[in-house]
Amino acid sequence: MEQSRIRNFSIIAHIDHGKSTLADRLIEVTGTLSKRDMAPQVLDSMDLERERGITIKAQAVRIDYPHEGMAYQLNLIDTPGHVDFTYEVSRALQACEGALLVVDAVQGVEAQTLANLYLALEHDLTVIPVINKIDLPNADPERVIEELIEIGIDGTDAVLVSAKQGIGIDRVLEKIVAFVPKPSGDPQAPLRALIFDSRFDTYKGVLVYIRVVDGSVGVGDPIRFMATRKDFTVTEIGVFRPHATPVDRLHTGEVGFVAASIKSVQDTRVGDTLTRSDNPAREALPGYRPAQPMVYSGLYPVDSGDYVRLREALEKLQLNDAALTFEPETSVALGFGFRAGFLGLLHLEVIQERLEREYDLSLITTAPNVVYQVTRVGGGVLRIDNPAMLPAAGEILTIEEPVVQAHIITPTDYIGAVMELAQERRGTYVELSYLDPRRAMLTYRLPLGEIMYDFFDQLKSRTRGYASFDYQLAGLEPSDLVRMDVLINGETVDALSTIVHRQKAYYRGRGLVEKLRELIPRQLFEVPIQAALGGRVIARETVKAMRKDVLAKCYGGDITRKRKLLEKQKEGKRRMKSVGNVEIPQEAFMAVLRVGEKE
Amino acid sequence: MVSRQVDWVPKISDWGLYIHIPFCQARCTYCDFNTVTAMGVEDHPQYVEAILAEWEGAQIPDGTLVSVFFGGGTPSLLHPDWVAKILARVARRTAWAQTVEVTLEANPGTLTADRLSGYRAAGVNRLSIGAQALQPHHLIALNRIHGPGDIVSAMAEARAAGFANVSFDAIYGLPGQTWQEWQATVQGLLQMRPDHLSLYQLQVETGTPLAEGIKQGQWALPAADLTAEMAVWAEETLPQQGFQRYEISNFCRPGHSSRHNTLYWTLNPYLGLGAGAHSFGAGRRWWNARGVRRYQAAALAGDAPAAGEERLSLDEEMRQYVWLGLRMSAGIDPQRFFERFAYPVAVFEQAFDELSALGLLDRQHDAIRLTARGRDLANVVARRLLDAEVKILDIGNCRTV
Repeated sequence: MEQSRIRNFSIIAHIDHGKSTLADRLIEVTGTLSKRDMAPQVLDSMDLERERGITIKAQAVRIDYPHEGMAYQLNLIDTPGHVDFTYEVSRALQACEGALLVVDAVQGVEAQTLANLYLALEHDLTVIPVINKIDLPNADPERVIEELIEIGIDGTDAVLVSAKQGIGIDRVLEKIVAFVPKPSGDPQAPLRALIFDSRFDTYKGVLVYIRVVDGSVGVGDPIRFMATRKDFTVTEIGVFRPHATPVDRLHTGEVGFVAASIKSVQDTRVGDTLTRSDNPAREALPGYRPAQPMVYSGLYPVDSGDYVRLREALEKLQLNDAALTFEPETSVALGFGFRAGFLGLLHLEVIQERLEREYDLSLITTAPNVVYQVTRVGGGVLRIDNPAMLPAAGEILTIEEPVVQAHIITPTDYIGAVMELAQERRGTYVELSYLDPRRAMLTYRLPLGEIMYDFFDQLKSRTRGYASFDYQLAGLEPSDLVRMDVLINGETVDALSTIVHRQKAYYRGRGLVEKLRELIPRQLFEVPIQAALGGRVIARETVKAMRKDVLAKCYGGDITRKRKLLEKQKEGKRRMKSVGNVEIPQEAFMAVLRVGEKE
Repeated sequence: MVSRQVDWVPKISDWGLYIHIPFCQARCTYCDFNTVTAMGVEDHPQYVEAILAEWEGAQIPDGTLVSVFFGGGTPSLLHPDWVAKILARVARRTAWAQTVEVTLEANPGTLTADRLSGYRAAGVNRLSIGAQALQPHHLIALNRIHGPGDIVSAMAEARAAGFANVSFDAIYGLPGQTWQEWQATVQGLLQMRPDHLSLYQLQVETGTPLAEGIKQGQWALPAADLTAEMAVWAEETLPQQGFQRYEISNFCRPGHSSRHNTLYWTLNPYLGLGAGAHSFGAGRRWWNARGVRRYQAAALAGDAPAAGEERLSLDEEMRQYVWLGLRMSAGIDPQRFFERFAYPVAVFEQAFDELSALGLLDRQHDAIRLTARGRDLANVVARRLLDAEVKILDIGNCRTV
């Protein structure tokens, strides 16, 4: 296809503003997929994606669109929407020239709209505003147009759409052709293609999703991944319509996939550049960085006999997930397991769920933590991804923690409540601006560790669900952090150690031991639970000794039933971890996340 | 100090007969046992016929029949004539002795003076009255069909009818039950001078209206500590009133322990007749079809109505002997264990060591018993013994047992 008739675009939106429905409709209206083959959320192929209504992996669909006598090739690159995957999103946007900015006609501009818009503008994309759900009775496109203007987009140009009813879809297609720039790039130059995602296929090996920037690529070509320096030979080239369809070549400006008998996605890093090994490009495309886990957690099999199975399952998941890292780790309390790194909490949850669901593993997951950078007295910098590994206070010169720049959009009534929450989480106020008379945007710098767990839930509950929230990483900042240990029955349980701000240690310690008291069942003896800073106990609770554990009546001599009941109880106890004679249930290791929650 | 007094100990071959009467007028909120409320007296003749048919076809254990127990359900819904007929047929196939304990479970809401005389005349010599509580609001909440007054009159009429051995059941840990209410129940029952008391902690069984009500927040159980205090108080009070605790939940005046329940704890054989009834003997446990109609059809057709069975290995039988036997205050007699299994009880040495170290077990050369703490935590002991390793020791060790 001639470069001038190719349009590469993505759709960006706040969650539930209708991104997937609009994509479905574009695919349907252009006849890319017959109505019979349509299913909601066509592009989300993982069960988890459909269940949760989120996109985890990127997708690329080629749409043939005839317009005013000309055949156009539209490539829709669907991006993950969640902040965990910001880097992946940025690579997908890098592969485009334009973006549809979808805004709900009732909800208006939300934090994720804004975060995605900023990302799109950073990549110099042409943004086409689309106001969706105009069929809803309380739709207010006028107000949304005002809000768009407020965030720097000419809202008067917005296409009014109901993706659900199929209203305005043609107009969207026309706008894409008219306004999204044609791809630039030199067809004569050596091949350079941007990798914006990859996934493992059992039959073909890794499918590498690419956007050809310069040159072209065809079956049989010798190729090289510039960052990982791995060479392969192309075995198949194709595009998604949305099912994989083979083609001979991908030319400058086109989007599709390449297969080359690649065994693991570890070789095909998102953001890397694909070139020819016999005629390599001199320079890689800009912007590549290796996936950097932001959140770490210990994964331990409840049954220590499952260690090998867990390792195999993680290895398999890693074939399809370059961002997942893991290393063997030993915990005094939990035995053999892994310290795994994730892009964020959603990523962690997805992996944890897949391990339990697809690999039938029962896991203990320790409370996730961010990565701290420690400078030792006398020099040397350590990267700490496990609180238990933090050196003694005397050896530490400084500790730095990751911080984010967060945007919170809220009705003005709740500005006070939001500011209070941000203060509680050690936030630094940056800015307050108004989108319209009733809605404001607050900008804060916040430690990543403070917003990981329940910040969003708290924000929702304090603003009656009206506020939205998004953030970008904003580097490291020094902070007065200490390790808080937990002692159960006098023994330090390494898997329960956390790193907290010194000023909040007392509060967190209290909350944690209270929660643990609720979660740890009574034992034969009294069990003290203590939180300590460097050997000094700052909070203490006691799980009282069990008073009674007796089965009463034996109905009509049914001993079998009695025995089964006892066996069931025994089975329940087996699923706990015994630490220093105390049986601790799985959920206790996540207790730190639930501090402050009511029973 | 554990009472050394042994009330009654069955011979190893003594056996009991359990007869299940599933009929109830109303289902109690906590009950998940095999009961039916939709059948009336018109269904009784056929059910009794089925029981008699099952009895005639049953293989009678060797040894002596020492107890017959009519359990339910509500056996006191069955007319005395039917009870008489069943007992007569039982006597025909056994060496019936006057000393056989014949118990009938009775709901106070179903008893009259006539009926009680009828049961006594039929050969019933022990009544087990389900009192449960003495506060009207608790009885209503539990969907019991009687009030406190019915309990008092049932006892008076039972004595008048000649019952010299009467037991009450009562439950602690009821939703909303207070300390005072529990004391009032126990003291009120004591004033009626029963011979035996069974005190049970309320068990919330899944699927019962009680479990549902608790889930919905309609009822709340008392705090675990309060429930424990209720038990402790009763355990301390009853001995002062002349009752000995011969089993974890059972108390009696001397000479009035329940033979039938004792047979369960001593792993003696018992034969169960009726829908869903359980039997044990010769290392085998088996049970009948639960549904009344299915049970009747099988029994009347002359088929064995058994619906399932479980064979115990010798190891498993030894384990059960130990964890069940420890429920008795008398504990386990090593001599008797050896006579029964031809192994010393020391095959469980390792588990016993652990349990002793935890302060739950008291080992003497003539008896192994639970400590007071062990009785409170009998499940902990049972769970440890449930799959305890059976370690055959060398001869040298055997002799020392």
